[in-house]
Amino acid sequence: MSTQLLTGNDAIALGLVEQGCRVATAYPGTPSSEILAGIIKYKKALDKDLYAEWSVNEKVAFEVALAAAWTGLRAAVAMKQVGLNVASDPLFSAAYTGVKGGFIVIPADDPGPHSSQTEQDSRLLALTAKVPVFDPSTPAEAREMIADAFALSERFKIPVILRPTTRLCHAVSPSADAPASSSDGKPVSPKFQKDPAHWTATPKLRYKLHTELNQKLIEIAAEFANSKYNYIVNEDHGGEVGIIASGVAFHTARQALLELGVRVPMLKIGTPYPLPVNLIEAFSARFTTVIVLEEPDTCIELQIPNRQRVRGRLDGSVPNSGELTPEVMFSVLSKSLSGVGIQVNPSPEDADLSAAIKKLSLPARRPRLCPGCSHRSAFYAMKQNFGPRAIYPGDIGCYTLGTNLRAVDTFVDMGASITMANGFFQANRLVGDDRAVIATIGDSTFLHSGIPPLINAVHTGARFVLLILDNHTTAMTGFQPTPANDYLADGSEAPRKVSIPDLVRACGVEYVKVTDPYEQEDFTAILNEAQAHTQAADGGVAVIIADRPCVLYDNDPILEHPIPVVVTDECDGCRFCTEAFECPALVLRADGSHVDIDYKLCIDCGQCIDACYKGFIVPKLAEMVP
Amino acid sequence: MTTVPQNSFCEEHKIVITGIGGQGIVFLTRLLSQTAVNLGYPVVVSETHGMSQRGGSVISHLKIGGNEAPLIQRGSADVLIALDANEAMQNLDFVRRGGTVFVSSNEELHPDLLPHLERLNIRTLHFPASAIAVELGSPETANIVMAGFVCAYDGLNLPLEDLQATIKQIAGKRAEGNLKALAAGFQAGKKKIEDSQPLPENSR
Repeated sequence: MSTQLLTGNDAIALGLVEQGCRVATAYPGTPSSEILAGIIKYKKALDKDLYAEWSVNEKVAFEVALAAAWTGLRAAVAMKQVGLNVASDPLFSAAYTGVKGGFIVIPADDPGPHSSQTEQDSRLLALTAKVPVFDPSTPAEAREMIADAFALSERFKIPVILRPTTRLCHAVSPSADAPASSSDGKPVSPKFQKDPAHWTATPKLRYKLHTELNQKLIEIAAEFANSKYNYIVNEDHGGEVGIIASGVAFHTARQALLELGVRVPMLKIGTPYPLPVNLIEAFSARFTTVIVLEEPDTCIELQIPNRQRVRGRLDGSVPNSGELTPEVMFSVLSKSLSGVGIQVNPSPEDADLSAAIKKLSLPARRPRLCPGCSHRSAFYAMKQNFGPRAIYPGDIGCYTLGTNLRAVDTFVDMGASITMANGFFQANRLVGDDRAVIATIGDSTFLHSGIPPLINAVHTGARFVLLILDNHTTAMTGFQPTPANDYLADGSEAPRKVSIPDLVRACGVEYVKVTDPYEQEDFTAILNEAQAHTQAADGGVAVIIADRPCVLYDNDPILEHPIPVVVTDECDGCRFCTEAFECPALVLRADGSHVDIDYKLCIDCGQCIDACYKGFIVPKLAEMVP
Repeated sequence: MTTVPQNSFCEEHKIVITGIGGQGIVFLTRLLSQTAVNLGYPVVVSETHGMSQRGGSVISHLKIGGNEAPLIQRGSADVLIALDANEAMQNLDFVRRGGTVFVSSNEELHPDLLPHLERLNIRTLHFPASAIAVELGSPETANIVMAGFVCAYDGLNLPLEDLQATIKQIAGKRAEGNLKALAAGFQAGKKKIEDSQPLPENSR
């Protein structure tokens, strides 16, 4: 058997399974999405009795796993960093009540950010909620930390956060075949024991729990001072400058030092909260300048009591936003080290070559909806029908890319398209603005947090059109099932599937239509009908369910009825189709004279026929096929 | 364990692989990294995930034999492998002085870039991997054809037979087609090397 190559997400999944995690829950979100899929993979491979689910949202996921931990079982919940905001309510409470079985919360942060609304640092939320954190720097270390996180959680009866970041989740490195360390995770008495004074604690008792929590943190900080995840490298290289770093930034900094040709003592911190301050102080005392390198914000730096010699994101020595890429790291360290008279190598990057590349103005391939995506058809019909004056609140998912088509004016967080539409309606009404409001939301996002906003809008008499873009899966993060699917996380059949139209009706919506956005004529007619409903005397919110499976997930409907297209010679390169329809398979020639179909990308959906109002995109006739 | 190649990695070997979503960048990266791991080298890979699965820019960083930082700094990659000329040019500044660029393309890179490449002693080899894959009847194997081509130039420091073994290990039912593609790319590479060798004076 060869050594296995694991992504960070797979390493975390394997760590959880081999350490006896019995209940694992998650809501998909980049960069965390592959953790639960990995758990299911290793559960099967290692033949473990483990329950895993894709929950409807992060709060639900958190609480399902928390309950399992309260029975004494080992449990874990995974999500992306903004998902922890959704789950922050139970997180804060769980810190007070504590747990019985080991409980690991895994929010994956996204410095950069690469695919998130914010760069927020989950360690800072942990600091506010008073939950200890492990901050892994490699996939192998993340796997190893799982064992210690479970053990700590059980010993102190406290939830523990394992906080990876994008570059760790999506890094791939070799991992040992044998478990990091063996533990059955067998609970002492795996049964929920009633203890109302504890689990249902009233405010007075919560004060007592808070005091206990603070005491736990003091003890944990003392324990963290001896953690194997905190260590010094380049110890014997003295000088005026020392570096404190955590997570992936630690290794990026080590690499930058190699490029710089300098060796500087570095203290690596794997347990940023509660910070073992004495370690930091003892290390810092040896230098005149200490540079703190961490992502994406300032958890360690913030907790250092004496910051006189500390340089980092707070004083501007390190950029106070963005990922610490190798280039940023090199520049930060180069400046700091040469600032104290240490000679460093110049940047290996050739500025003239970089400038020459920039000067070419090469076409950037920005993220776009896939060829054949039904969202494109829905956005196109919507935009053509309601025009640029209408307000288009959008939401979080692939379809956020509708912003390229100017059919998404806002996105805030999961479910906000409906609440924002509600707000726009009320605000417009006050000032006599009669603009149409058309909100869009995906099926998974609607189920995640669209339902309470819809109930709110119906009850308060808001009037707008809501398009639920139902592509039958959570497409953006890799096709995880939703409660509207008939299968579960492990592929088994779901006992029940939830009907989105029934849910919408149950929210009190009177106008509910299910239609295929590929049928653009009918779709447009329904858009008008829905808009009329919002204006009618007895009208209200109108909901259209744009029903068409994601083409990457299920392209059977297209394979069954392919409509290959050609662009006729008359095409004058007016760019209407490339801009208003923006299918990656529509390619404008370099000289701008004509649009061609890229048949490697085209999936024969035929949707672009309607996108050339001049009629130059036409079905390829059978006799034209060679 | 297979025999360790002659030119083993005494230092880090940094490879940047780029192209467009759908061209098989992730699989190509896996082929190279698994081969290196099978040979007993430390490996770190950084993959692109997230938005724009089809048609967007994709880049992988692959480090063999070095430290654990997942990303490669601009100006420090030994090799750039690009399955698309546009992406090759976008990422050209990852390559170090004296490094090598392999591009799947029928044409040279933009003429404005050539003087810089010459100045930095960066060798550029373009090669029609897609056309060869089409000739083989499997256009989707252009990524593997490219691997064979690069291997012929020793740009990977990974021996052909080990790449073949990895294909058998990880490619499943596609192994046969991939092995053909690898061989075709390797032969094309060897031929190009021979053709570019100046003939000795007396044999002309």
